[in-house]
Amino acid sequence: MSTIPSTGPHSPSSKVRRRRKFDAVRVMSFISLVIITFLMLLPLFFMVSTSLKSKREMLKFPPTFLPETWQWSNYKDIFDTLQFGTLYGNSLLIGGLTVVGTLISSSLAAYGFARYRGKGKNIWFMLLLSTMMLPYPAIMIPQFILFSKMNWIDTFLPLIVPAFFGSAYNIFLLRQFFTTLPDELFDAGRIDGCGEFRMWLKIALPLSGPALATVAIFAFIYSWNDLLTPVLYLSSSEKFTLPVGMASLTSSRFRIPPWHLLMVASVLAMVPIVTLFAIAQKRFVEGIVLTGIK
Amino acid sequence: MTHREGRRQTLYMYLFLSPWLIGFFVFALYPILSSLYLSFTDYDIIHPPVFVGLANYTEMFNNELFWKSVIVTLRYTVISVPIQLVLGLGFALLLHQKIPFRGFFRTAMYFPSMVSGVAMSLLWYWIFNPQIGLFNYVLSWFGIKGPAWLMNPDTSLYALIIMSLWTVGTGMILFLAGLQGVPASLIEAAELDGAGRFKTFLNVTLPMISPVLLFQLIMGAIDSFQVFTQAFVMTQGGPNYSTWFYVYNLYTSAFKEYRAGYSSALAWVLLIVVMLFTALVMKLSNRYVHYEGGGNK
Amino acid sequence: MNKNRKRKTLVPMLATVMFIVLALSGCSGGKSAGETGNGGSGKGEKVTITHYTIDSEDRTFIEKLIPDFEKEHPNIKVKIEKAPYEQFDSKLQTLIAGDKSPDVTSHYGYGGFAEYYNKDMLLDLTDIIKEDGFKAADYSISEDLMKIYTVKDHTYGIPVNMYVTLMLYNKDMFDAAGLPYPPSDYEDKSWTFDKMVEAAKKMTVVSDDVAKTQYGVDFTWAERDMRPLYFGAQPYSEDTWTNGGVPSATHFDSPEVIAAYNKLFGLINTEKVSPSTEWSKSVAGQNGDPFVAGKIGMSVTGSWSLAGANDFPFKIGVAAVPWNGDNKVRSTLFVDPLLILKGSKHPKEAFEWIKFLLKNDIQEKSIDLSGGTPPVSTKAAETYYKHFDGIDPADIKNVYEGGVKYGFESYNHLVTNYSQINDMFINEMQPIETGHKTVEEVMPIIQKKITEIIKR
Repeated sequence: MSTIPSTGPHSPSSKVRRRRKFDAVRVMSFISLVIITFLMLLPLFFMVSTSLKSKREMLKFPPTFLPETWQWSNYKDIFDTLQFGTLYGNSLLIGGLTVVGTLISSSLAAYGFARYRGKGKNIWFMLLLSTMMLPYPAIMIPQFILFSKMNWIDTFLPLIVPAFFGSAYNIFLLRQFFTTLPDELFDAGRIDGCGEFRMWLKIALPLSGPALATVAIFAFIYSWNDLLTPVLYLSSSEKFTLPVGMASLTSSRFRIPPWHLLMVASVLAMVPIVTLFAIAQKRFVEGIVLTGIK
Repeated sequence: MTHREGRRQTLYMYLFLSPWLIGFFVFALYPILSSLYLSFTDYDIIHPPVFVGLANYTEMFNNELFWKSVIVTLRYTVISVPIQLVLGLGFALLLHQKIPFRGFFRTAMYFPSMVSGVAMSLLWYWIFNPQIGLFNYVLSWFGIKGPAWLMNPDTSLYALIIMSLWTVGTGMILFLAGLQGVPASLIEAAELDGAGRFKTFLNVTLPMISPVLLFQLIMGAIDSFQVFTQAFVMTQGGPNYSTWFYVYNLYTSAFKEYRAGYSSALAWVLLIVVMLFTALVMKLSNRYVHYEGGGNK
Repeated sequence: MNKNRKRKTLVPMLATVMFIVLALSGCSGGKSAGETGNGGSGKGEKVTITHYTIDSEDRTFIEKLIPDFEKEHPNIKVKIEKAPYEQFDSKLQTLIAGDKSPDVTSHYGYGGFAEYYNKDMLLDLTDIIKEDGFKAADYSISEDLMKIYTVKDHTYGIPVNMYVTLMLYNKDMFDAAGLPYPPSDYEDKSWTFDKMVEAAKKMTVVSDDVAKTQYGVDFTWAERDMRPLYFGAQPYSEDTWTNGGVPSATHFDSPEVIAAYNKLFGLINTEKVSPSTEWSKSVAGQNGDPFVAGKIGMSVTGSWSLAGANDFPFKIGVAAVPWNGDNKVRSTLFVDPLLILKGSKHPKEAFEWIKFLLKNDIQEKSIDLSGGTPPVSTKAAETYYKHFDGIDPADIKNVYEGGVKYGFESYNHLVTNYSQINDMFINEMQPIETGHKTVEEVMPIIQKKITEIIKR
């Protein structure tokens, strides 16, 4: 059973009534949001402030809140300390391809799980979920042996190719969204002579903008911040990714780590994610998903 | 369902699943089966594995650290998952309204989830610092002398729970995406029928986003049963084993004790427990979760 | 879908799964025949050896030495494989399991030499050494150091770097308290533990103002299980040091060991001249040292702390670890060996690389390249003593030579299953430090647990 959502015309009178009733709630919401946002943005403040301190100032206790002298040269030094450009480029390449692969393959599989009632579906679905239930340290060695047999060690392939075959998390996520789409849309499509693949492309995907945007962000952040996989599979320095390079800054047990440079790297590392999110979050604002089609 | 329709359904399902199915057989199956096999062996990574039957499984029940890790992980999960869900939904509802600077607020709320792991742990070390940390400073306004948080066995687990709430933005954007699917017309209709805000939420919004809620509940459980990085990077399982999480114990068994067999057995016990939990939740959810399409029935 | 149908699909599926398990189980050992070495192995072709190390400046400097080596040995190519400290062990084990074992490495992770030795990861170098005619003396390496990684007359590792334990002191704090500087001469018998505590009392300030609090001494001598040795108590049986690190008995609940720990924790809890771990971590962060924040008068620590000396915002000096009665051991040595792993396919070439790294001029060059990593060669050491601005080279020489004379290799390199022992000590001893438990309560538990760990 399902209802065809109709985005019927809003009656002007009801709108006015709503606005008045909700004003107090909105003001309260706004105030609490300002406070929460302040807390959430503390890391940014902390990161930027630390990234501008000198190495010597980092040793001070109690620590200074703002840098005594604003050392902008740190943002140049990071390029001398690490091959920052190379690291950044590698991470961008891997992250970008991961997003593309994840979006295509996960949305296909999710569609299969959401829209069809084939034999063995529940078993496959539980198997899908179970691939997320084995902790990574437990499959690290066999997975390495596998990729090593494929001769993929010291290449980007182990970091990219699996994404093109779907990620369990994102398949599950998209399946949840695809199941909320009303059957009638697809029945109508079928009557119009749409093929199954076309229905995925022309009906399911356009209606799942927010979910796809979410998947894109998750896939990118996951790949962008992943440390364990690249550490294991990459051995040439010129192939290292950003997290691997950043980890090298704090790896000596015998030296005082250059925390200020680490924070410079962290601040710069956030740029693509923030940009991506700022673009993607617009999709959430685009409002009623179902208005587009009849 | 007619026989022919059934075959058609099966055909298309496998067609759409095929990318994942290929990936599953090529990339996932061998590691999974291999770890299952290893769980019945004594394997020190250097020498070939020796079959020992169920010895690894029986050992863990007499292992003190195993039980410690189970209790720590359960406590963490039971406390943090519900709070995460409620806060995530709450923030999503706040930011689903038409509010000035909505885009900025959404980005800010998701911000902590974007910060890299190292920066995150450095930051929280500072926030929880008993002497100069932000947390105890705020508590001191209310005349409370805060504990040593990460350095005190009575509070370290709670410190990690509080820390996990910082990334509640992830849950929030999932709920936001779900809320986009709730037609405004349905809400307006309910309100026109005279239902209050809360009732509308309970009867219209909540059922409509229940698939997302189910997703977050299951994923929340899967993730928090596998908490590792925080314990590995920030507390090393301490102080006094207070953050000795299940997967931390598993990792230590494999790479500090060179007992990959025992460690694989731990992984499979975890898999089975989480699987049972998931199956149970799925079963119960059939009654409550609202799917528009009939796809899952 | 009805229940019967589901069961019908489940049975064949389980059968398939079991079949695949059986089929695959043969090759999951990692020691399978599938040779995936470094490309071709035709005659006259280059051999590639891999040196696995930590991805940090003070270790990866060896990359800069490769061109010189490859010029000398045109048939050998050296590749550096690296991992961050936290992932060092797990990556090494995965590489070995995946039949991609590096050739040369050292115990840079949590585990030490004894762990590698007892897990059978190391190649016995005795024959290679004999065949090569390698003599430690030619490289100015003392025979005593060579013995550290020799088990039952078989050599498994060759020392390359050596840290000692020393005392760093904050001259500014000594001046402010009007105290004389402690001596660097290990033979100066007036410099005793009690005198150190006395001086520490004069520098300790415990105040509600976090900015004012400072402590006289931070006695982080060696790892926790080794500390009784400073007070002359021996927690592990003597055979541990000759049989490759498997103690036949441990004595962590003996009165001597308990007395030693009481004296140490007394510095924190009764004398109150030393900081608790909690305080240290809140001042210096997770793995930091509060000494560098200028809050500690004297810090007994490894000589690696010297490397940061140029950044300290205060003047520092080095001194001998004080006498305590007639103790024979006053310094923990941390000698890092170069090891060849059993999985190495080119052990002879790997040994050439090791010899190259030990050459006097290379050891000297390494000091600067690494930013102050101490060489094992006594000749190159002279250059090392002069490496630190603002500290008298004569003092560094004194504490190094005294440190070696009164030194004993760190237990973390010599006792088997050490990563577990260390984790256990950190966790079990935590309540002593906070005053929730006494040494007398905790040590019998530790004794019991350590027995279990060693038996594994």
